[in-house]
Amino acid sequence: MPPMNTKRDGAPSQESSSFALPVVSDRPAAAPDAVGEALEHAAANADSAEHGYGQSYWRSLEEKLGTSEYMEESRPEFPVGADLPPTGFIRREFMQLLGASLALAGATACSTRPADEKLLPYTKTPPEVTPGNPLHYASAMTLSGHTSGLLITAREGRPVKVEGNPDHPVNQGAACTFEQAWLLSLYDPSRARVLRQGKTPRAQRVLNETIASLVGKSASENGGSRVRFLTEAVGSPLTSDLRNHIIKKLPNARFHSASSNQDTQAETLRTLFGGQHVAALYDFSQADIVLSLDADFLESCPGNLRNIREFADRRDPRKGKLNRLYMAEARFSITGGMADHRLRLKSQEVLGLAAAVAQAIGGSAASLAGAAAAKSPLRGELGNWVQAVASDLRAAGPGRSLVIAGERQPAAVHALAHAINNALGNGDKTVRYIQAPIAEATGMSEVRTLVQDIEAGRVDTLVITAYNPVFTLPDDVGLGKVLSKDHPARARLNVLYTALYEDETSAHVDWFIPAAHPLETWGDGRSVEGTVSIAQPLIQPLFNGMPESELLAMFLDEPFRPAYQLLRDYWRGQTANAADFEARWESWVAQGFIENTASNPVAGSPDFGAAASLVAGYTPPASGDLELNFVNDYKVYDGRFANNSWLQELPEPITKMVWDNAALLGPDTAKALNLAPGDMAELTYNGQKLTVPVWVVPGHADNTVTIALGYGRNGLHEQVAKGVGFNVNPIRTSKNPWFDGGATLTKVRGSYKFSLTQTHWRMENRPIALDMPISELEHPSTETQHTLHRVKGELKPGIQDNLVDFDYSKGYKWGMAIDLSRCTGCSACVVACQAENNIPVVGKEQVGRSREMNWLRIDRYFEGPENDPKMVMQPVMCVHCEKAPCEYVCPVNATVHSDEGLNDMVYNRCVGTRYCSNNCPYKVRRFNYLHYTAGKTATEKMLMNPDVTVRNRGVMEKCTYCVQRIERARIDARVNKHLIKEADLKTACQQTCAAQAIVFGSLNDENQLVTQLTEDVRAYKLLHELGTRPRTSHLIRVRNPNTALEPAKAATKEGSH
Amino acid sequence: MAETAATPLDPLEPRDLIPPHHDDKSLNETLLDHVWRKPGKGWFMLFGLTLSALGLLVVGVTYTLARGIGVWGNNQPVGWAFDIINFVWWVGIGHAGTLISAILLLFQQKWRTSINRFAEAMTLFAVMCAGLFPLLHTGRPWFAFWLFPYPSTLGAWPQFRSPLVWDVFAISTYLTVSALFWFVGLIPDLAALRDSSKTKLQRTIYGLFALGWRGSGRHWHNYKIAYLLLAGLSTPLVVSVHTIVSFDFAVSLLPGWHATIFPPYFVAGAVFSGFAMVITLIVPARKYLGLRDVITDRHLENMNKVILATGLIVSYGYMMEHFIAWYSQNQFEFWTFYVNRATGPYAGVYWLMIACNVITPNIFWFKKCRTSVPIMWVASIAVNIGMWCERFIIIVTSLSQDFLPSSWGIYTPTWVDWCIYIGTLGLFGTLFLLFLKFVPAVAISEVKELQLELKHAAHQKSHGAH
Repeated sequence: MPPMNTKRDGAPSQESSSFALPVVSDRPAAAPDAVGEALEHAAANADSAEHGYGQSYWRSLEEKLGTSEYMEESRPEFPVGADLPPTGFIRREFMQLLGASLALAGATACSTRPADEKLLPYTKTPPEVTPGNPLHYASAMTLSGHTSGLLITAREGRPVKVEGNPDHPVNQGAACTFEQAWLLSLYDPSRARVLRQGKTPRAQRVLNETIASLVGKSASENGGSRVRFLTEAVGSPLTSDLRNHIIKKLPNARFHSASSNQDTQAETLRTLFGGQHVAALYDFSQADIVLSLDADFLESCPGNLRNIREFADRRDPRKGKLNRLYMAEARFSITGGMADHRLRLKSQEVLGLAAAVAQAIGGSAASLAGAAAAKSPLRGELGNWVQAVASDLRAAGPGRSLVIAGERQPAAVHALAHAINNALGNGDKTVRYIQAPIAEATGMSEVRTLVQDIEAGRVDTLVITAYNPVFTLPDDVGLGKVLSKDHPARARLNVLYTALYEDETSAHVDWFIPAAHPLETWGDGRSVEGTVSIAQPLIQPLFNGMPESELLAMFLDEPFRPAYQLLRDYWRGQTANAADFEARWESWVAQGFIENTASNPVAGSPDFGAAASLVAGYTPPASGDLELNFVNDYKVYDGRFANNSWLQELPEPITKMVWDNAALLGPDTAKALNLAPGDMAELTYNGQKLTVPVWVVPGHADNTVTIALGYGRNGLHEQVAKGVGFNVNPIRTSKNPWFDGGATLTKVRGSYKFSLTQTHWRMENRPIALDMPISELEHPSTETQHTLHRVKGELKPGIQDNLVDFDYSKGYKWGMAIDLSRCTGCSACVVACQAENNIPVVGKEQVGRSREMNWLRIDRYFEGPENDPKMVMQPVMCVHCEKAPCEYVCPVNATVHSDEGLNDMVYNRCVGTRYCSNNCPYKVRRFNYLHYTAGKTATEKMLMNPDVTVRNRGVMEKCTYCVQRIERARIDARVNKHLIKEADLKTACQQTCAAQAIVFGSLNDENQLVTQLTEDVRAYKLLHELGTRPRTSHLIRVRNPNTALEPAKAATKEGSH
Repeated sequence: MAETAATPLDPLEPRDLIPPHHDDKSLNETLLDHVWRKPGKGWFMLFGLTLSALGLLVVGVTYTLARGIGVWGNNQPVGWAFDIINFVWWVGIGHAGTLISAILLLFQQKWRTSINRFAEAMTLFAVMCAGLFPLLHTGRPWFAFWLFPYPSTLGAWPQFRSPLVWDVFAISTYLTVSALFWFVGLIPDLAALRDSSKTKLQRTIYGLFALGWRGSGRHWHNYKIAYLLLAGLSTPLVVSVHTIVSFDFAVSLLPGWHATIFPPYFVAGAVFSGFAMVITLIVPARKYLGLRDVITDRHLENMNKVILATGLIVSYGYMMEHFIAWYSQNQFEFWTFYVNRATGPYAGVYWLMIACNVITPNIFWFKKCRTSVPIMWVASIAVNIGMWCERFIIIVTSLSQDFLPSSWGIYTPTWVDWCIYIGTLGLFGTLFLLFLKFVPAVAISEVKELQLELKHAAHQKSHGAH
């Protein structure tokens, strides 16, 4: 089956592009085949009448809303015969039926599309489709205003894997956890399926007519002055264009945009650049010294993949001198874990710290610093730290350092950070100012204005395309209140809302329009540095979703154009030479982005005089002992991924907690408050009370408590998210949305059971995740020498090494190297592995029983004092021992060794004695204690990677080094008569790692990077002394501490505790 | 039995083992009485109890088979828990039977005569209980037969390097030989039952199992040879079975499992627990069956001596494990023995084990304790608990904290785990009660033979005196 878009858009061109993508186009196919003819015929006879399908599908509302499974049970995804054995002729028929059913599912979704569109089986298979071979399509995903470039793998018309687009300037092949797990949401059976007005299912035609009459009426009456739109931050050129057209049609209508973060930086830069929309781009590759003021730049900010890549390169001694990262933060973040010097302090103290550093640096920064220092006095004992940082920053030289302020920090801190960068001469070097891809004010103040308008009765129609604003915004913004049925202003308000799920917001709206997943429709967007991506769909809408662009286009009161048409029309308009538009379009779609669309640098330099107002306008947060911090979650973000079970079950990188959030405290604070992990506590803040469970994190700043947003979901149909964790938005305020003082936490009765994938955080002095200052590696102390001998010395023959060697010197010798210096612990690899290898999700209860199934885990150890430890991350998956302890104990030969050194797992043969796992010193094996893969709905089954067995109950499994990828590469190599090249084969975890911490290849080829890394001075084998001879090497993590703060000797101990 | 306890004699002297006032007839009556007599209330109550426990086994096994072994508490890292603990425990309990029957027979320990049938039955039932677990504990029990070497169409054989395959051979051999040994020993007594049967049905059934035994000289001759051969066959089994079971652990590289001392230490532990179980069962049974004349306090005392001896070997095993952990200065071993076991999450179980297995048997240094029925009974139960704890400590504690602290985890049993464990106790009890009801609990022919020998010896003695 081809990707759906080929149906709508004619036969794909035969030209091959960089990814061998089928190029889609709307020009008539050169040689129309039967499919093309049928489609043309259908299009010509298109009838926009409703055909009454809406009523016939929904027999009653109870059936529709009652159970989410109802739809799938009553309307099978696959037609009759699709479950016949896929052999011979039947296999072909299966593919055809599969394709037809999916396409029909989409075809019936929109009555405005040709309703009698007939799909015909292939009489001639399109050239790009070979059943069994994957196809790759470039697409894109937008989160928080940043559009990343992705490459989607499709199997027989089903997208099964999301990877980064290797050519995209930000992704460069990598993808983060969100981007990858986003695929699961496409198939999520709890996605909304019904377009409804109130409780009545409606056809799209009715919606269209309603909007048309509304637009017509308000355009003539008042120019749309009573119409409001609430959108996400709009980075998409098409959406901006539609917005402009709507404004043209309804000149008095207003657009507001809401965003879960990134408003302070933009606001600061607007002030500094006299009202221009400006964004700052950071270049970590040039920065020798980095000071992060509560900026989790490696993970929490849009476009972080580029930061990780550049930063990781500077942590690798093979690539030259190491950089040095100073980090000041309250909670332990991923970036904090990478820091050479991490300063724990309250979030509100960061301003004081910034001011002190600015003062020490002098220049343009010093003038701002005085005012700031008055607002946030710095603790005396931090003076030493500040001096060390300041002299280090200065010593680095102009343009060789970088100061970056966190998104949770107020504008004053951002202003200071920019001023320090300016004073250090970093402008245009490590910090570049560009025209912001998102040229609008966004944030909570925007929504506040909207709510005030509604309260004053100035709004008749509100269109919400922003993600679930009732949930994500603090309750005191008041959106939920004005939308609730009993608010006096509500009666005259007509609210339209489009979303993937029936969520907290949809409970309050008049019209709910199920949205198309971005992989189901056409779209565009801009990355943080401005590059425009074109997102193409991989599949027809599975659940009748409507693209956002089509919804907005309804307000133009023009004849219907599908999203594809809208997008092409817009970009045709942008192309100066219309003649070569087709060719350009094809290359844009094929490669996924438009070259040379990166934003231009802004003219002029920042005016720090204007910044004084930002510092002056800063009001210090409420005093009081305990500071309350809110953060966007590493897993569910602001709640939009809460229904994604891959992310819910992903261990939180720092706490290793799954399926929950908690009030995080430092050990001393917990002791002072008499709280133990798992205790329930009452959090009082601003007159509001909330009962939350407590968890203790080593290294969390004293007298602060951090709670992640996005949990405690109560959406109508979000079955995965429902009841997971605790919602803290009720006590959050729009005035201090990220942190504020004056909270109290008191122990109350009760306890709470968390599920963690790692419960012991000390290494117990064992040489496991090695971590040392670079100076120690270069001149090892006796103690270090002893440790190094233990992890990489010669094995004692006859004692540690007494089995016969196998000769692996011919052919491939697969091996892996994992660089702990590069690994941030972001967990993108874990999600990649889950998607690639069909790894089941087992739920909180099973994880609590220690039965998580992830093949790849990231061990997180703290070392040093409990209050102020260092953190080290260590990805561990099957290390493919040459002398594997698992193999000789299996009674049925279910785990055996290949002559290329793979430790193969034969699922079919496994009877499940679990002896192999007991004897595995790395404990990387995972057992299907229950039938975890049972009960998948039809759409969920479409997600499965057909190259990997879906495991049954009672079977052991583990990392295979992505053997299916090896075999695919082998087939290609054999066809092309060459050996497998390094570039042709990447494991899923390696492929997605932005830090390039994981390298895989054949150890018999000395030119391969993996061989070089395995022989690197830092390489060692985990539990080497057992004589298991792992094929995976870990590379010692090196730190680059400032000797002024950390005397060289102090760091030689690892895992001291 | 005041008359026997009064004069301490050399245990090798059989004279006082059976009171002299019995003749063949009275022995027959005494020893067959419990078969012919209608079971009393007590029997029915006990039978009801064990049958209900057996019901739990049915519930637990059915639920396990239906849902998968995820209904147990096992996890990663603790892949084995109650399943293998109970397996090893039951196999260990079975050891007394083989030891008493085979080794003591070969060493011509006459005092074994009264208790061998009892112990052999116990062995058989214990091995049946044990055998359930390896089958049930696999993730896909319907494929468990892949552990047997058979010419499969897959062309795949078991992996002979795996101790689990050795287990298959060891346990199945053990079960077969034990069953044969027990049955062969039963044949003359079944014939006696047949001959004293009162109904046709009884006669037919016992007659069938008596295999036409007529008690001719030729029968006796063949019987004796067969019995001795079987004894010879089972003698290595006493050592081999638990040695092989201990290989399940010793062959691995897990700290706490990987120890060369395991085979002797496991065999001693097995005999230790087996004898304790014999005491636990025989004390009430001999009272109920009125067999105090045949199973005398001397028997019990001798068994207590074995318990003391094997208990000391087990204690030595513990000591050596700790010594080697210290002497090798292996970081992982050191953690397992000195930190994890003694102070870790399962420290309570560890100290209970020390109390039951190391301290308790030492009371048998004192004759008063050796001969006091209530004390020995309580002590024997303590040893049974202690040996169960030992397997828990070896299996669960070692697995829960091994090499990489990131993977450490806690195991908690679920209700299904308990159901199955209690269920096997029920199965064992049920089978045992049926055994007491339908088969003579003491080897009548052997007792008679002993009686005859004693008389003959006494006669010769008196004759010689003249």
